[in-house]
Amino acid sequence: MLRAYLSTYLFFLFAPIAMIVLFSFHSTPGLVFPMEGFSLRWYSELFANGNFVASLWNSVKVGIFTSIVTTILGTLAALALIRMRGSFRRVFELLNFMPIGLPGLFLGIALVTLFAEIGLPRSLVTVTIAHVLFTLPFFVETMRSRITYFDASLEEAARDLGASQFQTFRLVTIPILLPTIVGAAILTFALSFDEFIITVFVSGNDTTLPLFIWSMLRRTVDPSINAASVLALALSILVLAAGGLSMWMQRKRAVAARVAELEGE
Amino acid sequence: MAMATTTDYIESAKKVRRPLPWPFAAPKGFGLAALPLAFLLFFFVLPVIILFVTSFFTARSFVIEPVWNIQNYVKILWAAGFWQATWVGLKNGVFTAFFSVVLSFPVAYYLVYRARTNVILYLVLLSWFSSYLVRVYAWRTILGTNGVINSFLLSTGIIDKPLEIILFSPFASVITLIHIMLPFALLILVSAMRDVKKEYLEAARDLGASGPAVLYKVILPMTYKGIVGSFMFSFILAAGDYVTPQLLGGREGVTSGLLIANQFRSSGNWPLGSAMAFVMMATFIIVYIVFVQILRLARVAPGRRYHG
Repeated sequence: MLRAYLSTYLFFLFAPIAMIVLFSFHSTPGLVFPMEGFSLRWYSELFANGNFVASLWNSVKVGIFTSIVTTILGTLAALALIRMRGSFRRVFELLNFMPIGLPGLFLGIALVTLFAEIGLPRSLVTVTIAHVLFTLPFFVETMRSRITYFDASLEEAARDLGASQFQTFRLVTIPILLPTIVGAAILTFALSFDEFIITVFVSGNDTTLPLFIWSMLRRTVDPSINAASVLALALSILVLAAGGLSMWMQRKRAVAARVAELEGE
Repeated sequence: MAMATTTDYIESAKKVRRPLPWPFAAPKGFGLAALPLAFLLFFFVLPVIILFVTSFFTARSFVIEPVWNIQNYVKILWAAGFWQATWVGLKNGVFTAFFSVVLSFPVAYYLVYRARTNVILYLVLLSWFSSYLVRVYAWRTILGTNGVINSFLLSTGIIDKPLEIILFSPFASVITLIHIMLPFALLILVSAMRDVKKEYLEAARDLGASGPAVLYKVILPMTYKGIVGSFMFSFILAAGDYVTPQLLGGREGVTSGLLIANQFRSSGNWPLGSAMAFVMMATFIIVYIVFVQILRLARVAPGRRYHG
């Protein structure tokens, strides 16, 4: 019975998405079953649209910059959390977590008020700042389990054996945390690529892909929305799959190295 | 000049080494935390403070006048329309959170104690990353006047004109929001349930507890934090959402979130919008307190009874 329930649950999650994918290949504009034929016309229409291509490119750019900044800030925060104790740690943890404990709407309007106050014009820069704020808590939360079980005595051992502070960092700390950092960075890109709720308030004239889809949604019922949606989905999935694969390979290589080491003894 | 004596050296070394007194000494890890801390202070704490200050100003013809007053709050507290919208938003949030947690709980149980592979977990993760807007749009396609459900009912002759009530209603908002929140609610529950070892359940069984007793006395209290987290996350994100109500909610589905977003997008009374946002946050806190009290009354919260 639990299995039957599970199937229903997954069906509920995926049926609406599958439907959009199907209609994106529909030869007529109708959004009704049964379907009448297969075509790629909505995709070719979409790529002929300069605004779409520009917004897709903007989203990729923002995603990459967000991942870089969030990875630097998030890794520093994680390394700090390993070392912190007491009330300062609690305050810092709370501060790192709070941005996702609030509705996106709240962050969006707070940021736009700040930008207006300091006279920063709305652009892809402000969008990137907003995305860093939104993704940083996810980054730190992803690193958390790794931080909790991080054995600080490994660093001390390296120092006792004569490694410099930088060597310890490069040869001990980073290798332990790297797989998690890579995973969290990919998660950051995917989150930034999809972000809409905060972006609405802080974006200028340059649109991102979700903003482009939003403008289509509000205008008319244009069936190329389906195609745009599918491309947005496909890109997120591709990035996540690539990330998953790289982590899996890293793990496999580590296991293989370990086995070789043991056999050599 | 006389040569420095050994004691001088020791004294000067002591001076250098002596740690600074409390408020000036940097706590351990501060150097690393400095950059992210600065970012969060400047782009999170400061904006919230500015927003709060703004809520006490007035806007006249799109210009914010920095004159301290509580007019915005007075206006909101007496506006029936705002409370109506708040009520719709809170209902959206509570229904969404309740169903997301209840529907995801059995799945979390399956994933943690029964599943042999992680395939299903990855599938759920995947749906979490399928764009938020796309899912709202998918539901509009399903529930719309010319949508899948209406066309189906029309073609089979069950109805002779499209049902308008499915789309543009609070119901449409809630079902879409549940669809959006489910994966997130599930992930939080799974990570909480991973801490409850299978051996605990077996031990309870061996000691004679029935299936429901294991659920009520072991799993629920031990996953309490996860349940509260999962519920509150879904609640806050759903109750504060403005996109779904705008696209699917219709006139009856206007929420306080949508009213706030509109102040910042079109009509432009930022101070009023800020005040609304803080009133909305206050209502969220009340919901949190009520929810925790309900769990305590239902005796699922972990408490003294386990040690007495």
